[in-house]
Amino acid sequence: MKISRIISIAWENMKQRRLRTSFTTLGVVIGITAIIGLASLGEGFRLEIRDRMQQGFELDILIVIPGSFTTGLGEFEPQEVSRVRNVSGAASVTPLITLPRTRLLNEEDEPLNALTVAGVNFKEMAQMLPERLAPLEGSVPSPEENNTVVLGYKACFLNESTRLVNVGDNVTVQFGAAPYNVTKKLKVAAILEKSGTSGITNFDYWAFMPANTTFNLVKREVYNIILVKVADIEESEEVGRNVEAVFDNPYSVSVLVPLAFMRQVDRILNIVQIFLMSIASISLLVAGIGIMNIMTVSVMERTREIGILKAIGAKSRTVLTMFLAEAMLIGLIGGLIGMLTGYGISYGFAYGLSNLIQSQQSSEVAYRTQNPERLSINPVFSPEWTVIAFVFAIVICVVFGLYPARKAAKLDPVNALRYE
Amino acid sequence: MAKILEVREVQKSYQIGKIVVPALRGVSFDVEEGEVLAIFGPSGSGKSTLLHLMGGLDRPDSGEIVVDGDSLQKLPDDALAELRLSKIGFVFQFFNLLPRLTALRNVELPLTIAGTPEKQGLEKAASLLKLMGLEARMHHRPFELSGGEQQRVAMARALVNNPKIVLADEPTGNLDTKTGWEIVQLMQKLNKEKGQTFVIITHDPHVAETADRMIFLKDGLVEAVKEAPRRNTQ
Ligand SMILES: Nc1ncnc2c1ncn2[C@@H]1O[C@H](COP(=O)(O)OP(=O)(O)OP(=O)(O)O)[C@@H](O)[C@H]1O
Ligand SMILES: [Mg+2]
Repeated sequence: MKISRIISIAWENMKQRRLRTSFTTLGVVIGITAIIGLASLGEGFRLEIRDRMQQGFELDILIVIPGSFTTGLGEFEPQEVSRVRNVSGAASVTPLITLPRTRLLNEEDEPLNALTVAGVNFKEMAQMLPERLAPLEGSVPSPEENNTVVLGYKACFLNESTRLVNVGDNVTVQFGAAPYNVTKKLKVAAILEKSGTSGITNFDYWAFMPANTTFNLVKREVYNIILVKVADIEESEEVGRNVEAVFDNPYSVSVLVPLAFMRQVDRILNIVQIFLMSIASISLLVAGIGIMNIMTVSVMERTREIGILKAIGAKSRTVLTMFLAEAMLIGLIGGLIGMLTGYGISYGFAYGLSNLIQSQQSSEVAYRTQNPERLSINPVFSPEWTVIAFVFAIVICVVFGLYPARKAAKLDPVNALRYE
Repeated sequence: MAKILEVREVQKSYQIGKIVVPALRGVSFDVEEGEVLAIFGPSGSGKSTLLHLMGGLDRPDSGEIVVDGDSLQKLPDDALAELRLSKIGFVFQFFNLLPRLTALRNVELPLTIAGTPEKQGLEKAASLLKLMGLEARMHHRPFELSGGEQQRVAMARALVNNPKIVLADEPTGNLDTKTGWEIVQLMQKLNKEKGQTFVIITHDPHVAETADRMIFLKDGLVEAVKEAPRRNTQ
């Protein structure tokens, strides 16, 4: 017997018992709705978190530090920096030098709130981190001007109401331990916008001056941080290894790959999602048991029919296939409807959720940033998950249909014909 | 005449709990190609049991059944199904049509199982229903048909695969005398015109007498075989 005919007969049978078929299918619909809904919302949630981390933490920037926990901190020679510049996969590279034991004093000799004083290449920094180096007042000097300083927002304040310095003021930089202070007068060129994040590139307490100015203070041309922006964030780890490889002793540098941190967060979200989806899968199992139950009743009701089919020459396998085809069709239809409702519900849910979060946030004092803080989860249509859920629906139905279908196939035709 | 079916020392008993009920206790006879054979006997004599064994619906406890040269005991279940499909046509007392299918679809069913293309199958089914005088009833479901009409649909279904032999278990048992007689006439006609072999189980002596040969079954044994006088004169 041709499989297409078997399927069309199964379909006819199901149509004859419309109500029963609908209820059986409903179980599958609910299971698949839950799975698809959780998959697409979970994926959307994960992408949103990833996006925010990317915005807040500059995940595409590797931080290279000389030395390690075992060798202690060291320095980068200019030629080492230029080797890093040529690393493949690096979109841009800029070196920094941070000065230890350094203070900035305003014109009244009060110390500024600058925790880190760094020598940088303004142009390269501004290119790599345009948002972080956006000036609130003044302008970041370009081309570089010696003896200028750019201050982070909070470096200029003692507290919320007491300002320590203004653009155009002179500040004194003191370097090294007292009484051997090396001092220099710098002019405040710009004050930066408040940073919106608490990430590694929060420059609120930083003070920047041109690298050349710092070289004059330390009397040498050295760096102690290299920032490497990767061309493709997914290749962060590989670029990190490339960076290590340009050093004579790769063990003498540490490369921090922020993406690795995010990957960990990703893994955690993954586990949560798998957990939720396994719970959703249980509802599909329940649906499967429903199918088994209803089909077993159906086989009993159709005993005589099965006997007739066998008497006129249907093989056991044909009868088996007929019942399995019904189970499969239930899985197919339930899967299809469940997919539609699953995506429908997840879009509706996401819409409601983002509205809720928005209205909650409007009552809080929003942190001043360039991007408004608004959580919006966009459910993700994942072809893989769709296919997996669909196949899962059919497999569950067929597996649970197997018992009643075998029962039908094994019926003894003579007894089946006698059955009233 | 060639033997189309042979029954050799067939025994069959049923077990109900601890009690063994012997239904057939060593039955032997032949069915010749092209004949109408009646199996006659009182209720419980084992007629239906015998018919099921002859059609490969069940297996005997001992003895041998040969259909068209094939010994059934050697055949696996699937081959028996194949044999029922291609060589045997069953007609039952209670018609045994599928209630949800139309007359036409019921008749087509064996062809569907055999894998005949739908169009061809429906044509064949329609032509048989026509032969049975049911042209106007093709698209009716069994519950919309009279008993006689249902039995004619069942006959059409039994014949649709051109079986070598039609096994009918009390085909008139559920019909009034007149309608039953029409069915018997129809079988006679098919036998005369197409040379179709029929084995008809009945406990109606009038029906039995229309056959070429009659086998009396009693308590699971063949008590007598009677040739119809009509046949002797031929
Ligand atoms: N499945 C079964 N289980 C137990 N006993 C059975 C079974 N089928 C038949 N029998 C017994 O076997 C014997 C023969 O039954 P069978 O149905 O062959 O008789 P029959 O000649 O067809 O009778 P009837 O004319 O009433 O149809 C009976 O005693 C019956 O009770
Ligand atoms: Mg009987």
